[in-house]
Parts: sequence; structure tokens; C-alpha cells
Amino acid sequence: MLSKARSNLPNATGDLSTDEVAAFPNWTVFTQKKEGAIHLHAGSLGAPNADFAQMFAREHYGQDQPCSSLWIGPREIFTANDGVQETYEVFVQWVAGGRHEHVGVVEAENGADAKTKCVGQFIGDKEYHTIWSAPNSILTKIESATNMIWRKTTDQNYRLAKGYSRVVRQKWDAIRAGAAVDKYQEEDLKDTF
Amino acid sequence: MSASANVEVNIKDCANADPEKLAVFEQHVAEGGLVEPNDWMPEAYRTLMLRMAEHHANSEIVGALPEGEWITRAPSLLRKLALTAKVQDEVGHGQMLYEVAQDLGKTRNAMLRDLITGVTKYHNCFNYPCPTWGDICMIAWLIDGAAILNQGTLAHGSFGPYIRTMRRINMEEAFHFKHGEDMVLTLMSGTDKQKQLAQDAFDRWWDPSLAFFGPNDRPDERERPAMRWRMKTATNNELRQKFVNRFAPAAMATGLVINVCKKDASGMVISKEPDPLLKLNEETGNWDFTQPDWDEFFRVIRGDGPCNKDRLALRRFSYEQGEWVRRAILDGATTAPSDH
Ligand SMILES: [Fe+2]
Ligand SMILES: [Fe+2]
Repeated sequence: MLSKARSNLPNATGDLSTDEVAAFPNWTVFTQKKEGAIHLHAGSLGAPNADFAQMFAREHYGQDQPCSSLWIGPREIFTANDGVQETYEVFVQWVAGGRHEHVGVVEAENGADAKTKCVGQFIGDKEYHTIWSAPNSILTKIESATNMIWRKTTDQNYRLAKGYSRVVRQKWDAIRAGAAVDKYQEEDLKDTF
Repeated sequence: MSASANVEVNIKDCANADPEKLAVFEQHVAEGGLVEPNDWMPEAYRTLMLRMAEHHANSEIVGALPEGEWITRAPSLLRKLALTAKVQDEVGHGQMLYEVAQDLGKTRNAMLRDLITGVTKYHNCFNYPCPTWGDICMIAWLIDGAAILNQGTLAHGSFGPYIRTMRRINMEEAFHFKHGEDMVLTLMSGTDKQKQLAQDAFDRWWDPSLAFFGPNDRPDERERPAMRWRMKTATNNELRQKFVNRFAPAAMATGLVINVCKKDASGMVISKEPDPLLKLNEETGNWDFTQPDWDEFFRVIRGDGPCNKDRLALRRFSYEQGEWVRRAILDGATTAPSDH
């Protein structure tokens, strides 16, 4: 059944009756698809605070395929050059159009220093497009070993293309075989009668 | 689902661009180079890319509306799980594309509001009705199938954030499409009643699927900004032909008949005949087919389609009713709409 509200919508047009709330801050998400793999930039999202950002990241970037770890931080920290002395995770986008990938950690004075150290320790004279850094104290890390992300306790194949390959194949074979049998019987009847 | 990039921009917008920078930019793009948000780009590129991403985002969230209506009526638990996941994916596609558009200079709120008030548009195929479960099967097979063809070419575009988003989206579209194919095959290997359900829905969706790729190409299609700057890498007609070559023989193999249909104002078929032009053209190697009804297409785009009003009314309803929730989670104020 459809809800009454949905089957009986007010027929309003023109300006909206509500003012909108302030824009939600943006968050950047990195995912690791298998334990031991590198963390890759997955994308961003809008959420009012860190708790909502984590819930949203779990649903949006953690359920499209198996995911073993999520890192989430306010978007501006990745490009910031200020900050304090601490451990920074550093990420390199090797070419324009590519995804930033996690290359390691550096001890640095601030964001700018982290990026410089990233070049020294992980890039050398290789070419790259951009570097991001994130202070470890601000980044939220969710690990599936202790905090399940991908819902592996139930079969998730229904939400993956590969979950249908076999059954689709079988149905095509059956339909084609059925058509061949029909064709065969058609001839059969013609000859016999 | 997705949008095709039939969003126009006036090339004169380039007049203010520094000619030297413009030349470097155009060469970079022509050589297959990619553009990131902080790189220099002509204002017209920014505008066109923004409109493309915004239109695409609008289409994703409006496209989820008719499908969302069918979750409670799915015929089995498996179908219900899959349809729920698909709707979640589509809204997620919208969320990612609004992020891309937002970075090009328009706020998410402005985009959501412009969609509802009709300032901006969404993909025309969602202005058609979805009266049976068969329509859900055909949308997933044909429209998501068309979207994969289109977005596969968009993933070779020039704007970094957009192509990264396309790659992620296409992986999920592959699930939508395979699930759609499974549903269509299930119906077509079922009872006469199931086959009839599929054929009726197919009749409603074949035309919108052909029109999905947008109007016929203009002679200078490749000179226009969208292609010159590699935002689009295939023309509407190329994509449409590819679609027919793939789907016409597949549909016929399942036992479906490709009809040319006349529809009433509510989008329901009133008469039909098998497509008289449909055949494999030995010379070209392509399938010949009857063009969709372009007069109807343009009428529906202008707002006079079977479901234009319903789709926007539902979007307006949830946006207005959800405002207090957004306010509450942002600043802790919890006044429900009836109290203010
Ligand atoms: Fe889809
Ligand atoms: Fe989609």
C-alpha cells in the first residue's frame, strides 16, 4: 500500500514554503577494500557533524562492495597547510583524474610541512599531481575487524552485478533451448501431418 | 539511471577567456588530458560541467521516485531487497553528483530548490508512468541499460571529479541492469500472464528508451563545446544506434515484440503495430528502427507529460516536510513543522 500522504499530494507550485537550513559541512572519505590494500579516495559527502558523517560514509561508501576500512575527515583538513605538530597521513594523486591514494605517515609541524615531507619520503623525483595530508587526531578510522562495515553476516549478492550472472545465464539458455524445441516441433508437425 | 548531456552553453561565454590560456587548455583536453577543479578552465567549461552534473544529479533522485513507490509491492523478498538497494544507489548517485556540481560553484540547497520550482530539469524519461511491476523490470533493464551505455562514454570525459564519479556509478548500474535482465527473463520464461505484463510494460518503455539519448544530432555536433571539450565522447545518435543494436535482438530473443505505439495523455498505450522498419541492415550492420515520437518528447520536456506534476509534487512534499529534520540535526532545534 502507498501511504495516504503519497497518493494524495498537495498540488503546490511556485516558491517553496520553507527556508533552507545552512549547508552541511563536507567530509572526505577514503576506503580500503581488502585488508592490507591501500586506502583510496572514495569521494565526499555532506553531513552536519562527525557522527552523521560516519554513519553516512558507512552506508554510502561501505556498502557498494566489500570494505575493510573507512577513513573520514572534514574536507578542508586534507588541503590545509596550517595545523600543529603531530602525525599526518599523506595521500598522493599521481595524475590528474586519478584518485588520491594513501602512501604513508609523516611526523610534521603542520599541513604544509607534512606535504613537503611526503615528497621527501614517498615521492622523490617522481611526477605527481597533488598531495593531501590529514592530522591523525582529526581523522576518524573505522576498521571492520572490530566494527563491521560490509554486512558479511548475511548474503549481499543481491546488491552486486555478479550475484545475477549465473541465474541470468541459465534463464537465457532455457529460453533459447525452449525456442529451439518449439522450432523443432514446428518442423516435426509439418512433416508428420 | 542517468542524464544525457543535452545541456547547452553559449560558446560566446569563452569571449572573456584569456586566449593563450584557452589554447593551452583546449590542447590539453584534445590530447586526452584531464581537468581538476583547481586547474584553470574557461568559465564556459565550468558552467557547462556544472549544468551537466546538476542535471544528472536531478535525474538520479527523481528517477528513484517511481521505483521507491514499488518497494512495498515487490513480488518477493529477494526483489524487495534488490529494489531497495537500487533506490539507495540511485539517491547515492545523486548525492555524489551534487557534490561534483557544488564544487563548481552552486550550493546543494540552491540545486535542490531549483529542481522543485522548475528552474532546472531532470531526465525526461521519468515523466512517464510506472503502473505495474513490469515497468520496474523494464526500467531496470532498458533505462539502466541505456544509462550504462551513456555513462560508459561519459567516464572517458575530461573532468576528473565527474569521471571518478561515473566509474563508481557504473559499477552499481551494472547491478541494476543485471537485476533488470534477470527480472525480464523471469517474466518472459513464465506464464502467459507474466509475458503479457512484460510486453505491455515494454511497449510503454521502448520509446522513452530510444529518446533517452536525447534529440537527433545536429550537423556541427562535434564542434560544440560538450564534445570539443570532451565532456561527451559519443553523439546521441551513435549511442541510440548502439542501444538498438544491443537490445532489439535481445528483446526479440526473449519473445518480446518491438512495437510502434500511440499513447494517451496519461502515457498508456492505445494502439500499436510491430515496428515496420525494424530489421538488421546488411549493408550498415546496424539495426534499422522507427524513431521515437519527437513531438511528444518535446511536449513532455516542456512540462506537459503524464507524470511531470506528480514527480515534482512528491519531491516538494518530502523536501518541505524534511526541513525540520535537517534543522534539528544541524543546530539541535526540534520544532516539528506543525509548531512553527
Ligand atoms: Fe541505476
Ligand atoms: Fe543511477
